[in-house]
Amino acid sequence: MKRFFFAVVLSGTICPAFSQELYVNTEPASNMATNSVGIRLENQGYFNPVYKNRTSIETMFGASKDWMIHGTLYASDYYHTQQHFEGGSAYAKYRFLSVDSVQSHFRGAVFAKVSAINNPLPNQEVGLEGDNTGFQTGVVFTRLIHKLALSATASYLHAFDNLGGYNLPSGNARNAAGYTLSAGYLLFPKKYENYNQVNVNVYAELLGKANPGYGQSYLDVAPAVQLIFNSFFRVDFSYRTPIYNNMVRTSANVYLVRLEYNLFNVF
Amino acid sequence: MKTLKIFIVLFITTISAANAQFIKADLQVSGLTCSMCSKATEKSLRTLNFIGDIKVDLNKNVFVITFKKDVPVSLDQISKKVQNAGFFVNSLKATIDFDNIKLSNNTFNYAGDTYKVVSGGDKALSGPVAVTLVDKGFLSSGAYKKYSGPDGDKAGTGRVYHIVI
Repeated sequence: MKRFFFAVVLSGTICPAFSQELYVNTEPASNMATNSVGIRLENQGYFNPVYKNRTSIETMFGASKDWMIHGTLYASDYYHTQQHFEGGSAYAKYRFLSVDSVQSHFRGAVFAKVSAINNPLPNQEVGLEGDNTGFQTGVVFTRLIHKLALSATASYLHAFDNLGGYNLPSGNARNAAGYTLSAGYLLFPKKYENYNQVNVNVYAELLGKANPGYGQSYLDVAPAVQLIFNSFFRVDFSYRTPIYNNMVRTSANVYLVRLEYNLFNVF
Repeated sequence: MKTLKIFIVLFITTISAANAQFIKADLQVSGLTCSMCSKATEKSLRTLNFIGDIKVDLNKNVFVITFKKDVPVSLDQISKKVQNAGFFVNSLKATIDFDNIKLSNNTFNYAGDTYKVVSGGDKALSGPVAVTLVDKGFLSSGAYKKYSGPDGDKAGTGRVYHIVI
């Protein structure tokens, strides 16, 4: 708890001004506009002991004013010497709460994710972003006040055996808890004049997981910078590093680069 | 018979003139703070066939909508498109040309819908006049309560809107 408090203070120090809610490492409670489509191309990885990286392609769709869905495909060399196709995941989010006023809102959403992955299982972390076959369900609340946005997520994760005959080792946790706390701030423009101004958002996110009953947990801090061009093309940069970690995972220090393209009124 | 023909011609002229009575609307949207969200909202609104042009004040989140002439305006569709983009209408002020509108019993009809004047109907109305919608979906829940739910009075043809002048 003390560490968590320290982490909150630390994230505030790294990012003295907080931002908008297009978080890089988490999802906000808000959804995309109905009938709009977002396409993400993402690469993340680490350099120690050797350079390894994962690429993913994600498609997002605003199904209605309250529902949005994502579908993602993953490829990496995390568990093999060569890049290979790892599988995919599907995600759905339902916004059940909206308390809006001009330039501020408080929103709540529930979400669920399933994944099917064919990697070996040497790690203790349960992660549905290319590592484990499993499901996740949780709740997210986002508060936006003008240029500042705060968001918190709590979720439950369950791991099944992976595809390809890779069973979860008997001593490993199948059930995990996930929790995140994110803050973002709109740095530029100071004053909006048109849609073509480049938006610069800065973020500080705390990303944690625990395997209850196994004494395994971690808390990472992930600062991020985001550029939005012409109000539809987005570029994210992030680097996550642990505040504390006693869980075996692929790597605790991970960079992330993402391109996102948004199309409005597709259908 | 001749009188009837004149009456019919007059009647048709009045109906077609009625289509040109909504000039523009100042739409303030709540919950917006990023230009990406404003753009999604504008794109959503532009799918409506009766909208001619939209000018946006990105700092105040106000969308100034100019309506096409001779295409009937549906205010419900505007609220729906804003909600589809993930936001809400905080206020909608429509500018209506009252030269061709006859107010009877604080009520007038437009494109098959009924508009009831909740307050301000005693003013002499002529030319373009800005009116504020006070129905659910067109103002914040706090402001809606102030008008103590005008939706209750639903007598009229088509959709019954309530306005304040």
